Amino acid sequence: MCLGGLALGWLTTQLAACSSLPIVKAVNDKGMINVPVSSFTEKNNLVIVRNGELEYDILLVKFGNTYTALQMKCTHQDNPLVVNSTGLFCSVHGSGFDLNGNVTKEPALRPLKKYAIQLNESSILISL
Amino acid sequence: MKANHVLLFYFLLVLNSVQAQVLTKEDSLTAGLIQRDAATVLSGYGSIKYQHDVNNNVARANVDRVILFVGHKFSKKISFFSELELEDAKVAGGEAGGEIALEQAFLKFNVNNDLYITAGLFTPRIGIINENHLPTTFNGNDRPFVETLIIPATWREIGIGLYGNVRAVPGLNYSAALVNGLNSAGFENGSGIKGGRFEGRDANASALAVTGALLYYIKNFRVQASAYYGGSVGLTKNEADSLLLVYGSFGTPVGVYEGDVQYHNKGLSVKALVTTVQIPDAKRINRAYANNTPEAMLGYYGEIGYNVLRLFKETEKNLTAFVRYENLNMNYKLPSNGLVNGTIDQQYVIGGLTFQPVRGVTVKADYIFKSTGDVNPALVINPFPTGRPYQRQQGFFSLGVGYSF
Repeated sequence: MCLGGLALGWLTTQLAACSSLPIVKAVNDKGMINVPVSSFTEKNNLVIVRNGELEYDILLVKFGNTYTALQMKCTHQDNPLVVNSTGLFCSVHGSGFDLNGNVTKEPALRPLKKYAIQLNESSILISL
Repeated sequence: MKANHVLLFYFLLVLNSVQAQVLTKEDSLTAGLIQRDAATVLSGYGSIKYQHDVNNNVARANVDRVILFVGHKFSKKISFFSELELEDAKVAGGEAGGEIALEQAFLKFNVNNDLYITAGLFTPRIGIINENHLPTTFNGNDRPFVETLIIPATWREIGIGLYGNVRAVPGLNYSAALVNGLNSAGFENGSGIKGGRFEGRDANASALAVTGALLYYIKNFRVQASAYYGGSVGLTKNEADSLLLVYGSFGTPVGVYEGDVQYHNKGLSVKALVTTVQIPDAKRINRAYANNTPEAMLGYYGEIGYNVLRLFKETEKNLTAFVRYENLNMNYKLPSNGLVNGTIDQQYVIGGLTFQPVRGVTVKADYIFKSTGDVNPALVINPFPTGRPYQRQQGFFSLGVGYSF
C-alpha cells in the first residue's frame, strides 16, 4: 500500500508538471504547410501540426536551429502515435520511436516517414 | 563461341535476377526503403519452440503459433483488421491438439486524430500481453505465465471499443469497451477463467462486460492501469434461478484488475505487473457447476533485461540477457465449498537470452524453474497406481525462434 501511495504521488507530480503540446492548425497550400517559427518557445521544442486534409498529425521537432517533421503514424499497423518529451509511441502494440523517427521498440520495423522542410525567416514550410 | 553465348545468357540472367531483387516492392519493404501505402496489407508473426523437461528427461518440439494478419483501408476513416491464428501447426479431424481461430476481426472508425472506435472481435487493453503479444516484443519463449493463467491472454471478445489520447496531457491514452461476458460453466480449476471465454464463437451476449484502461507514456516509462467487470451467466432467468445463480447482464460477476509499469532506455528494460481476479459469487458457481472456482486469484511478476551489445556500441542488434520472477496463486481465496489445490500456487524464475540479428527476428534460449505447492489428495479421484509422485519443483530448457513482419 505504501509503495502504491508513493507511485500515485509520483504520477500526480509528473502529471501536474505536464503541459500540453501546442497544436498548430495549418493550411495546405498547394502541397506545402506553413508553420510560424514563433510556434516554438524556449521551453518547448515540439509542435503538433494538424490539417483537416491529413489523416495523421505531423510532429515538428526543433533541434537547435534545425527542424524535423515526422508523420505520427506507426509503421507497424498504421495506428496514430502519441508523443512525449522522449519520443513517439503506439498505444496499441507498444512500438516506440525517438524524436528523429528511428525505431526504439518493436514491433515497428521501419522508421517514421519524414517530410522535407524549407526554412525562411519566420516560417517552416513542410512539403507534403 | 557457343560458350560465350552461354556465358552471356547466364550473365543476363544473373543481372535480371539482381535487378529483380533490387526493384521488387517486397524486397524494398523488407529493407525499409519505402513506405507502405497499399490499401490492403498482409503481415504476420509466429514462434517455434523446442522444450526439454529436465525432471522427466523428455523433450517436445512444436510450432506454437503462426498468425496471418490481413488489413484493409476502405477510406481515410474506416479500416479493417484481422488476425487468423493456427496453433500447434496441424488441425486434423478427431485428433487432439491444434487450433485455428480468429484472434481479431474488427472495423476501426477514426472519429478524429485523437479518437477512434473499434467494432467486432478484438483484444481489450488488459495487462501487457493481451495487446502486445508478438514474439519479438517479450523475452523468453513462453509468454509470462501470470498473463496466461490469471489474465487469460490472448483474450478477445465481441464488442465495441473507444480509444483515444488526451492532448492536454502528452502521452496519456484511455480506452473503454463493452464486450460480451464470460460463461462461468466453463471455468476450470487450474486454468482459471480461461475456459469461460467465448472468443467470438456463438457468444452468449446476455452477459455483458465493461473494460477500461489508462495508459501513460512519461519519459521512458509506460504506466498502465486496467480493469474488467462483467457477468458470467448468460442464461434465462428460469435457468439461472434453478441453478441459484444471479441472473442479469452483470449477474454472478467477474472482476479483473491490473496495473503495470515498463521502463526502456539505452538497452535496459524493466517491467512489473500485478493483477487479481475477483469472483465474489464463486460459491454459487461451484454449487451449480462443481468446477472448484476460487473467489480470488492473484499474480504478479517482475523482469529485468539488458542488451549486452550496448556495452560495446550503439546497435540495432539485440542480445538481451534477462531474468523474470513470477508468482501466481489461482486459489488465493476460496469459498466455503472450494478445495485447495496446491499445484496452482506457483512460482517461476525464468532466465535466458533473446537475440535479434535484425528487427523482426528473434532467437531465444531460456531456462524455467517452476515451483508449486503440494497436491491435495482429495482432488485426485482416480490415482494412477504406478504413477510417479508429483514433482513440486520442475525445470524446463527451451530454444526457439520467432518472427514478426
